[in-house]
Amino acid sequence: MSGIFNLSVQNLLRHRTRSFLTMLGIAAAVGVLFSVFSFNRGFEEGLARELQATGLHFMVTPAGCPHEVASLVLHGSVTPNYLDTGVMETIRNIVGVNLATPILVAQLPNPDRQRVDLIYGVDTNLLPRIKPEWEISGNMPSGPYEILLGYNLAKRDNIEPGAEFRYPNLDTTLTVSGIIGQTYSQDDVFVFMPIATAQRLMDKPNGATAIGVKVDRPEQMETIIGELRAARSDLQVITMNQVMNAATSIAASAKSLSLAIALVALIIGAVGVMNSIMMAVFERSQEIGMMRAIGASRWNVFRVILQETVILTVIGGVIGIIIAMLGGRLIETFIRQVMPYVPSGDMLRFDPALAAAAVVFAVVIGLKAGLYPAWKASRINPIEAIKG
Amino acid sequence: MIRLRGVEKKYRRGVEEVRALRSVDLDIQIGDFAAVIGPSGAGKTTLLHILGCLDLPSGGEFDFDGVRVNKMRESELVTLRRKKIGFIFQQFYLIPGLSVLDNIALPLLFSKDKGANGRGAKDRVTELARMVGLGKRMHHVPAQLSGGEMQRTAIARALVNSPELILADEPTGNLDSANSKKIFDILHQLHQNGLTVIMITHNQELAARADRMIRIKDGMIEV
Ligand SMILES: Nc1ncnc2c1ncn2[C@@H]1O[C@H](COP(=O)(O)OP(=O)(O)OP(=O)(O)O)[C@@H](O)[C@H]1O
Ligand SMILES: [Mg+2]
Repeated sequence: MSGIFNLSVQNLLRHRTRSFLTMLGIAAAVGVLFSVFSFNRGFEEGLARELQATGLHFMVTPAGCPHEVASLVLHGSVTPNYLDTGVMETIRNIVGVNLATPILVAQLPNPDRQRVDLIYGVDTNLLPRIKPEWEISGNMPSGPYEILLGYNLAKRDNIEPGAEFRYPNLDTTLTVSGIIGQTYSQDDVFVFMPIATAQRLMDKPNGATAIGVKVDRPEQMETIIGELRAARSDLQVITMNQVMNAATSIAASAKSLSLAIALVALIIGAVGVMNSIMMAVFERSQEIGMMRAIGASRWNVFRVILQETVILTVIGGVIGIIIAMLGGRLIETFIRQVMPYVPSGDMLRFDPALAAAAVVFAVVIGLKAGLYPAWKASRINPIEAIKG
Repeated sequence: MIRLRGVEKKYRRGVEEVRALRSVDLDIQIGDFAAVIGPSGAGKTTLLHILGCLDLPSGGEFDFDGVRVNKMRESELVTLRRKKIGFIFQQFYLIPGLSVLDNIALPLLFSKDKGANGRGAKDRVTELARMVGLGKRMHHVPAQLSGGEMQRTAIARALVNSPELILADEPTGNLDSANSKKIFDILHQLHQNGLTVIMITHNQELAARADRMIRIKDGMIEV
């Protein structure tokens, strides 16, 4: 004999289609919520990892919109502003600066390979210091025309060390000296080259889009930035924390929007559940009257109906989580398209604690949506219901 | 066992007041086997619902096993129904998704007694299924049963809490004469085992075979 649980399940199975559709409503809402939270965690972790990978403490750029700067540092989009040469001197003269290196990030068409490359001009001798975690197959560039390729770039076109690269506005052929092992950051998609070569390619002999600064001790950063601001007011300093915050705040607004959508879906889902259970209660009023006659109390009836609702929403919630995990890739692709900056690497990871929280949440929805129908059921007058 | 004195039941239908029972005096002794007869609308079901503690009289006195029921709280009425009364209905009211065994066991789900759902309970439910002749149908669901088998399931369900009183409202109303007779025989057997059985019926022949007839007309008991 199988107890009250079986009774509730059998009741739900009486109208399979109705129960299933109601469940789907809850699945959709819980699935969206679950995705939003999973995404947010993956996003922040990915971002922190990526900023760590830059190896620098702050960037100096021409004054401009901070989002543009964040996007420049992380995404490599082209900013039209170039820094002038005097800036380097100013920065290097500040006490506590360990390293100041010009960086030129730009997009450059590569007709040979029919795409636009992201080039990253930097003092290649400094790379071992600012990117100590890179694992290079092949060699570090040792001459002006040697370049390094990011992992994804090399993988996509099946490029081996020693391959040649040509750009239309440069008469010399470039040689790939090494391929960078996978970093799961934006480094995977860049072409790294000596800054002088990048400057020639972009036709900006002394140009830099940013100056990356590494300090001796991170605690000194405030003082150093203060000094720099006093010396030059036309510059913008952006710390890695600010980049993190800017990107996170964009993510946060996207998150609140998705949350709002999820909540609307949830309310619709919950009303659907309430409606479906309410119908079931009306249809079964005779049966409920019978149960009262054979010894069920109001509370017993209340519990049976409430339990049915919770079973419905919990199964719906679990289906939602499964769909979110399976459909997560699609959602991730969508997010990459709408968000200005998204760290590379997996953003959706299955977090058991989050899944448990989602299930608990589904229980709470069930309890709330079931309250009214269960109360109604418990008030059914048995003699009205079972008039002989 | 049961003692009614001057029991009244009034219903409101809009502004009109219906007197479904008028000054009913009735005594039922332990072990009685009574048939309640009377024309449609006479008040038979109303009387049965009051005897079954599903509804309270509007006036008069109603004692069950020496306890005054009139002023009982809902929770006390529930306990009384659960422990002492078994209901059987014309429409059977079985739960479609549940097997014969689970339908019989349904009242146990609401029981507060420890062990009501334990090992012994399972044996008891199986035993009841055999007793009503459903030994080969225990795992069938109601849709796979004939009307007579459904009503026998319902009888077993009414017995599962070991009640003192069985109340049946036209239990054979939806059955052919052969099945009606079978149901009647089971009820008769219960009476012989010492249970008190009160059955409403329109079937004169069956009513005549009960030990006692209670005739109702216009809410009044005719002597
Ligand atoms: N809930 C109610 N509200 C108003 N009137 C009611 C209600 N229940 C019963 N009545 C009325 O009370 C009277 C007795 O009804 P009852 O159901 O007891 O008759 P009955 O003898 O069982 O009839 P039948 O043989 O048709 O089942 C009828 O006039 C009926 O219309
Ligand atoms: Mg009736």
